[in-house]
Amino acid sequence: MNFRSHLLIVIFELNATKSSWADEVGEEFDLPIETFTDENGIKTILEYKTNDDGKKVKVTRKIKKTLIKECVNKAVAERKKWAKFGDERGKKVGPDLSTTSIGEQIFLKLSSTGKHSELAEESDINKRKAALVGKKILCRICKSDHFTIQCPYKDTLQPLDELGKELEANKETAPASEPITAEASTGGKYIPPSMRAGAKPTTSDSYKERRDDATIRVTNLSEDTTENDIHDLFRRFGNISRVYLARDRETNACKGFAFVSFGHREDASKALQAINGYGYDNLILRVEWAK
Amino acid sequence: MRPILLQGHTRSLTQIKYNPEGDLLFSVSKDHVVNAWYSHNGERLGTYNGHVGAIWTVDVNSTSTLLLTGSADNTAKLWEVETGNCLHTWEFKTAVKRVAFSEDDCMALFVTEQRMGFPGTVTIYSIANDVNAKQSDEPIMIIMPEGSKAMVSDWGYLNKYIIIGHENGSISQFDWKTGEKVKSIQPHTDVITDLQMSEDRTYFITSSKDKSAQIFESNTLVPLKKYITDAPLNSASITPIQEFVILGGGQDAMQVTTTTMRQGKFECRFWHKIFEEEVGRVKGHFGPINTIAVHSDGKSFSSGGEDGYVRVHHFDEEYFKFKYPEL
Repeated sequence: MNFRSHLLIVIFELNATKSSWADEVGEEFDLPIETFTDENGIKTILEYKTNDDGKKVKVTRKIKKTLIKECVNKAVAERKKWAKFGDERGKKVGPDLSTTSIGEQIFLKLSSTGKHSELAEESDINKRKAALVGKKILCRICKSDHFTIQCPYKDTLQPLDELGKELEANKETAPASEPITAEASTGGKYIPPSMRAGAKPTTSDSYKERRDDATIRVTNLSEDTTENDIHDLFRRFGNISRVYLARDRETNACKGFAFVSFGHREDASKALQAINGYGYDNLILRVEWAK
Repeated sequence: MRPILLQGHTRSLTQIKYNPEGDLLFSVSKDHVVNAWYSHNGERLGTYNGHVGAIWTVDVNSTSTLLLTGSADNTAKLWEVETGNCLHTWEFKTAVKRVAFSEDDCMALFVTEQRMGFPGTVTIYSIANDVNAKQSDEPIMIIMPEGSKAMVSDWGYLNKYIIIGHENGSISQFDWKTGEKVKSIQPHTDVITDLQMSEDRTYFITSSKDKSAQIFESNTLVPLKKYITDAPLNSASITPIQEFVILGGGQDAMQVTTTTMRQGKFECRFWHKIFEEEVGRVKGHFGPINTIAVHSDGKSFSSGGEDGYVRVHHFDEEYFKFKYPEL
């Protein structure tokens, strides 16, 4: 009852403020509020009104009512009806803003480091070590007691004996290459290790191979682009294996370029053709193969 | 999850407690006020006014009709939960640090402070479980623990024993009928700050300033689990549904100003109860967490801090989906 009378007052005030002729003209177009309910129980309310700029707007509101039944303890239900007391005496039902507020969103991320499985793994390693006691294990690379494949220097060093053989081979070929090295040393010109005689070109090859060829570089991105945006943009072309978005170390804003790796090269080339020159965030994207 | 912040206190919280159904939450603090809240929306139901000193402890009976509080004004008060009326006041020689209803609500224990030449005691009174009945002023038993003073206490299952946590980190089990000590162990090296029973009272968890929390069996005092953290602990609680314990604490309030907030370690830590491994943390308090309580349905918990806030957390869906990785 209270609520209704309140509404009436509001309408009256609105009418009173509508004094300009433009508003009066607008009033002619005012259509009555339409409401209808469809078979799914969704109630639609159509309303036409004039907004602050004097433009007529159509407001559509769809309301679906769902009745949720919750079973509670009888005593609990009784307690919800209790009158307030003490300092709260006479205050209205519902949380009071002076005593109750909602805090910021926080996350409880539950995770386990799997301490126990780790322990089990460790004991497994110990067991294997114990089984191999007596047998001599020698790493070919660093000559310590683990398998060559587990050597921490595996990627940086080559097996010692192979190196020795190589050196011997170099010695044999040395006379032939001597003039060049001599020239280089006399000229004092720096020659990068990869260009020097005896350098193995394989390393650079393997490096190239590791750079998967299904990676594209996207440039001219706007500052507020995020990884998710990139994902959304490229997802339709195929499976994305990795997105790297360059960010400023301090501001954490995008630096304007990103690398996207696809599962297949075809997907990447499709994406390249489609997105190159595509307008995104007021900027025209440039896509090319990552070099 | 978005916690509900309850701002009903102007000083640090000392204890919070849910009633057995968990719909009401009671909080007491050093500002002389006892607050009752609806736990589902954080609405304050009312206040219990009458204490003139810092309130240390609160407990509610199993039917949520009577509320007990113990205060530094050397009194303990019995309140009618529904109306906020004070029904009875017990006078003590020193401050009341802990109160607890027995499992059948017919008795309550009161732990009093050792001070001004008076020894610390654990006093047991009978409680008439009726709002209109007259309460007895004649104690059933006064236990005077020798040695280190009693800090916290609770009843074992079926009121068989009472368990007391001491200032020096020892835990003892007393037969309240004879007032004799049955067993005693020394599991902690520093003061025991909280002692909470499991739902069936067959085991309990203690928290201590020695940065650890431990679970013991009530009957034999056999240590079952130990959780070692990196901060002094003020409270520990056991959760239903998920097999967790929630530990809260942080460096002492007097040292807070000397360090940054991150170093304070003012977070609720979730530990796996069985595997003794930390699985998660909830932050939010600006000071040490003084007290933690878990809703009996296991879907929410609350923490009260030195900062004067109570934070009521309702768990997200993911919380219930968590499974400890299989071995």
